[in-house]
Amino acid sequence: MTLREQRKQTLENETTFAFDIDEVTEFVKGASEELFISYHYARKKRMLVQPRGGFPTYEKQFELYAALQEAGADILPLTVDSHTRLNDYRTANKMLQASKTTGKDMLNGYPLISHGYRSTRQMICHFGFPVSLRHGTPDARLLTEIAIASGIFEIEGGPLTYVLPYSKNFPLDKAFLYWQYVDQVCAQYSEKNRLINRESFGPLTATLVPPSITISIQLLEMLLSLDEETKSFSVSFSQQGSIIQDVVTAKVMRKLANHYARLYGHLDARIQLVYHQWMGAFPAKKDCADQLINVSTVIAWMVNADKIITKTRDEAAGIPSKESNARAVSSTLYTLQILEGLPCLSDEREEEVLTEEVTAIMEAVLGNAADTLWRKIFNSVKSGIIDVPFSPHIINMNRLITVRDENRNIRIAERGNVPIPQRCYDYEKSCCKVRSGAKDLVASIISDIGIMQ
Amino acid sequence: MKVVTGVIGNDIHVVANRLVELSLIARGFKVYNLGVNTPLTEFFDAMVETGAEILLISSLNGEADGWSEEVSRIRSAYRDLNNIIMMIGGNLCVGSGDALEINQRYMRRGFDLVCHQVDLNTGLDMLEHHILKLRARNHDSSRTKKANSGKRDYICI
Repeated sequence: MTLREQRKQTLENETTFAFDIDEVTEFVKGASEELFISYHYARKKRMLVQPRGGFPTYEKQFELYAALQEAGADILPLTVDSHTRLNDYRTANKMLQASKTTGKDMLNGYPLISHGYRSTRQMICHFGFPVSLRHGTPDARLLTEIAIASGIFEIEGGPLTYVLPYSKNFPLDKAFLYWQYVDQVCAQYSEKNRLINRESFGPLTATLVPPSITISIQLLEMLLSLDEETKSFSVSFSQQGSIIQDVVTAKVMRKLANHYARLYGHLDARIQLVYHQWMGAFPAKKDCADQLINVSTVIAWMVNADKIITKTRDEAAGIPSKESNARAVSSTLYTLQILEGLPCLSDEREEEVLTEEVTAIMEAVLGNAADTLWRKIFNSVKSGIIDVPFSPHIINMNRLITVRDENRNIRIAERGNVPIPQRCYDYEKSCCKVRSGAKDLVASIISDIGIMQ
Repeated sequence: MKVVTGVIGNDIHVVANRLVELSLIARGFKVYNLGVNTPLTEFFDAMVETGAEILLISSLNGEADGWSEEVSRIRSAYRDLNNIIMMIGGNLCVGSGDALEINQRYMRRGFDLVCHQVDLNTGLDMLEHHILKLRARNHDSSRTKKANSGKRDYICI
């Protein structure tokens, strides 16, 4: 089936009212370059700041955008509710109506499909800021169509990062094909105006994921996307708990992203690095949450991120108010401003070990006998070469076990089927004191997960 | 001994589920982990398929309170599940509730061990203690009866 036929099939459904492809194409062609993140990446003078956020109703989303814009956000978020993420548009519709009638938020995000692109586009064009689509949708074909038609020119996600942390049994093989569709649609629209940026979701489960796995998955999703003619792509990761490990992770991720993009012939692709403030369990005390956010910002500076995605002091309690969201944006901006001139750290030994680990994983994946890249990756997940700690997905091997060392670095205690070279494995094991398999392993994992609480 | 475990209902809290699995392995159990989002019937299907002696159901969002009303009815539809140990743990009600009341409610529904907001290792100590108690009782009764039938009790395997 050609892309055109696939798009027709996707767009003709009971929830989308008269999607007009030609009108949407004209809109993208004529859209202000200010709406494109890729345009801002190209001319930025400092790290871009982006909060997260989505409310059910148009009015509350509008108020959120006004508050974030006033606080100085460079990019506005559109976080989608969890029913829409699971393609359950019927429930999303119902809960949107309930939110309107009761005045209470019955959804944890903005139900983009239910609102449709016509009204959402009005809001986005009103603010004239770039908007980033934040979701967690394994099958994001329709969502991407509606997002671009609304004027959202950054699409987050990918077949690994939006399936392995978010779903128990969404078929991974299908996810690869659905994300090919997303990449192809983005690439097609990119020809009409500035580039539509694709971003991978590096935090994964945000629970003791070792940097070797994070980086490998970022590189693989980047290669999958570049293969579909994406020209602007962001790799990302979230604060891991050890400052030096974050610095080393960023260095290796950036270095190898450029290396593999070149190796596969994508010489004209622009690659950005995005840093997420701490994504794990947050402290309930709001003063402590503020401090954590601040330290995250310092690290983002140290890793020289192109964009930082903020958290709020309400994180432990639930969905943040627009006020605390705006507060996180302005405090992050202030911290970045006073960090000007901070020298950079590095650790050559750590960098060497991590580079060797990622290279070994990449070689194992790319060396798989399958005929296409996505099948190589699919087989590698099945066989546990790629293993994401705390993934709920049935395909995930769950044999990789990690703990923290004395300096809070995430270390591999059991490598499972992940091809960590023996030399690196010995090093990792020598760093952590916990005997694997022992009863106290669980106790230390529990405290390792909750280090920021 | 073999244990079937998992998180019941539309509950995707995976961290605790993995920790239960790791803890059980560390204590020497053979674990069949059905993971998160597991319907009640799948637990019993897995008990039959694996021949496990222990069923350990987790609930983090409290959904178990609704599902567990069905336990006796569904269990009775299966043969050979009379001798299993049924344990449940996590947050066993939505919102807050009286622990003693919750305990009794689940006991009535056929659970042998109920751990509402009990620390993981304490809960598993309870399980091991329960197994030892059953073993001792079994040992005593087999001595007094001098039973020599070929039928093996699950607890001796």
